[in-house]
Parts: sequence; C-alpha cells; structure tokens
Amino acid sequence: MKPAFDPVQLAIPFFVVAIVLEVLLARFGKARANYEPRDAATSLMMGLGSTIAGLLTGGAVFAASLWAYEHRLFTIPMTAVWAWVVLFFAEDLTYYWFHRLAHERRFWWASHVNHHSSTHYNLTTALRQTWTGGVAGTWLLWLPLSFLGFPPAMVAIQKGISLVYQFWIHTEAVRRMPAWFEAVFNTPSHHRVHHARNPRYLDANYAGILIIWDRMFGTFIPEDDAEPCRYGIVRNLPSFNLFTNVFHEWIGIAKDLAGSRSPREVIGYLFGPPGWSPDGSRETSHTLKAKWRAREERAAAEVRDEAPALRQAQGEDLLQGRK
Amino acid sequence: MDKALLVQLLGSALAVALLVGLSAWARIARPTAPLDEAAARRLLADEFPDHRVTAVWIGGDGASVVARADEDLALVLWRKGDGYVARSAAWGDVVAARPAEGSVRLAAVDGAPRLRLGQCPWPPQEAAA
Repeated sequence: MKPAFDPVQLAIPFFVVAIVLEVLLARFGKARANYEPRDAATSLMMGLGSTIAGLLTGGAVFAASLWAYEHRLFTIPMTAVWAWVVLFFAEDLTYYWFHRLAHERRFWWASHVNHHSSTHYNLTTALRQTWTGGVAGTWLLWLPLSFLGFPPAMVAIQKGISLVYQFWIHTEAVRRMPAWFEAVFNTPSHHRVHHARNPRYLDANYAGILIIWDRMFGTFIPEDDAEPCRYGIVRNLPSFNLFTNVFHEWIGIAKDLAGSRSPREVIGYLFGPPGWSPDGSRETSHTLKAKWRAREERAAAEVRDEAPALRQAQGEDLLQGRK
Repeated sequence: MDKALLVQLLGSALAVALLVGLSAWARIARPTAPLDEAAARRLLADEFPDHRVTAVWIGGDGASVVARADEDLALVLWRKGDGYVARSAAWGDVVAARPAEGSVRLAAVDGAPRLRLGQCPWPPQEAAA
C-alpha cells in the first residue's frame, strides 16, 4: 500500500529521460559515463524486481506503520510546514543510521549489497535496488517516526523524496558541485566515494540527502582526485546473473551458518561485520583499511628515509655545478 | 492482477529493454585491450597490494591472468564485461587443472573461471619455476 502521492512513481519518467541523456552525452563525448550493457540490464532488472518485491511486503510495512501511529505520542499535522521541516531532518537522520547498519552488519548488508555489486557508477546503478529489504526488516527503523506522531503517509512521501534525490548523485558526469553545496548535501563526488571499493574509501559517506550526518558522526571521506574510485564490492561477483546478484550474500550466510560450531559463530556470521570469520581469516573493511594504512605508513617512511640521501646528492650536484 | 499495475510493469519492462539497447548502441563500455605483462601487473597491484608477485601468466586472449605470489598462492584475474574479477587460491590446486579444447577451467577458484590458452602452455611454465 502506498500513499496517493508517490514521489518515486512520479519520477520514473524523469529517471528514464536522465539515463537516455547520460548515455547520449557520453556517446558524443560531452560527459563522462561508462555503460556495460549487461551490467546496465542487471541494474535495471533489479530496479523492476524491487518494485514487485515492494508490492509483496509493502502492505505489511504500511500496516506496521499504521499500528505505530495508532499508539503515537503526539499528533503532528501533515499540513504544517514545520512538521515537514522536522520530518526532513528526522527521516534523513534515520536514513543515515539505516544505511550505516546496512553496511556494517552482515544480515542487513546481505540485502543492501545488491545496490553495490555493479562495477559501474552511472544512473542505472541508482535503480539497482534490493529485493529483500522487506525481509531484512530495516523498515523497522522508520517506525519511531510514526510512533512520534508523523502520519505514515507523510513518512512514506519523505522516504520517496529522499530516494528520488539520491538518483541524480549516481553519476560520474558531475565532478563537483559548488563548495557550499558539497559542504551540506550529498553529491555525486561524496557518493562515488561511498560506492568505491578502494580500501581507503570503505564504509564512508552513508548520507541520504544531507552529508552533515557523516561529518558529525565521523564517517565522511572526501573524494581524492589522486586516487580514482574503483567501483563495486571487495570481492566482485563473477557473474551478471540477476539471481546471483540478488541472493549471493544470503546464500553465503546460509552456508556459513550450516558450518557454524557455536552460538558465537552463529551470531558473528549473522550480525558481525561483512567478512567476519571466527579465525579472522577473511577480510573485513576494518582489516582492509588497517592494511591500507600500514602500506601508506611504509611508503611515507621510505620517502622519509630516502629524503636525506636525496638532499645530500642534490647538494653535492649543486656544489659541483651540476643541475 | 490490477490492470493498471500490469500496464505499468509491462511499460517498465519495455523501458528497460530500450535503455539496455541504447547503452549497447552507444558503445561506451570501458576500453579493455588485451592484457600485456605491464597491464597485468598494474591490475594485480590494485587487487592484491599486499602480495609479492613472482611470475605472471597471461591467457591466450589477453583476458585472464594467473600470477604466483608468496610461494604457494595463485592470484587469478579474469575479464567480466569491461572489468575484471579477482580471486586467490592455493597455487597447487590451480595448476592442477587440466586443459581441454584450448581452455582450462579453474574449479579451485571461486567462480570457476574458464581461461583461454591460445599458444600459452599450461600449467604456466615460467610461473611454475
């Protein structure tokens, strides 16, 4: 069940036109974008499948929202401007924590990983949406808003606005927005970092509309032009198969649980960070980042060690009149 | 099923087909020239920065790489679309794969890639040394 005003439904023609424009601009060398047809097909089919999956679970989600609203603390009028302003910030903050949870805990990552499995970053990537979000239950995080007193339709509309906003930031065609905009809002540059698999960029920029949450909670990483983003997931999938893309992490969890030998292992495989293993033999974002930092420190130390010798050699060259 | 919903789904499916067709027509995938050793080593450095590569074998079509690292590890890269998939496995398990009809399927590697041999010997002679 959806509200009569659904920003996402209304925006679908805009999504199509924007993708056509991005492809044509790239084709004629006017913008940066790469499209691999099978990758684009997988992204678009996942978007379509997500709509169907949403129909299956949407009723239950909306019923839960109504239940929370029936037990609300306050009655917040849908017609008040202040209510929309408060909801804008409250929903965006909720999105930030949903998104962070969806990256940092495997059970929810299994649902969200779909959005990151493309090795491309173009507007079709934005439509690469989960089929299993309803099952993963991340929608529970939005129930407190209805419990506070925001009508469920109002929350659904604001969620839709956030999703529509996040469409346009999935592009390489826009390099940087004006500095004031980059400081406050989520932008293509910030979100490229979020989709990158370079160790230095992992687990960063979880924002929906406002990047201020990442700045506040210490997860903001700016895009460094010296290190271009490499997109996808740490272990890129070997196949374009739609169902592999949708279910691979759930299957991985099932296999790990089947081989578990203790409650600790069950909890770790389900709710540990993606890549968690009992013996630490697999890699998590944390270990990948630690290795990256160690490499950076080694490289810096080598430069420091070589610098005196280099300066000495340059000094000798100068003394001898060589350039 | 609701008729309006059916029309919407069919319309969406048509739009998907047209967009995929447009992206195929545009030919704007990343360029993927056949790999030479320098390109292969650059890719290996990106994907496996903590491993010391001692020898590199490149598939006959320039679309795959098997590198030996840290004595007993095989670093494997193979093309998927306009990118590459990277995996590692035990060296002994990888080179034990038997070639057939000009290619070799590495069952020991997650994803079980099939690499084209061309004129390249298998198992990799220089990499086995």
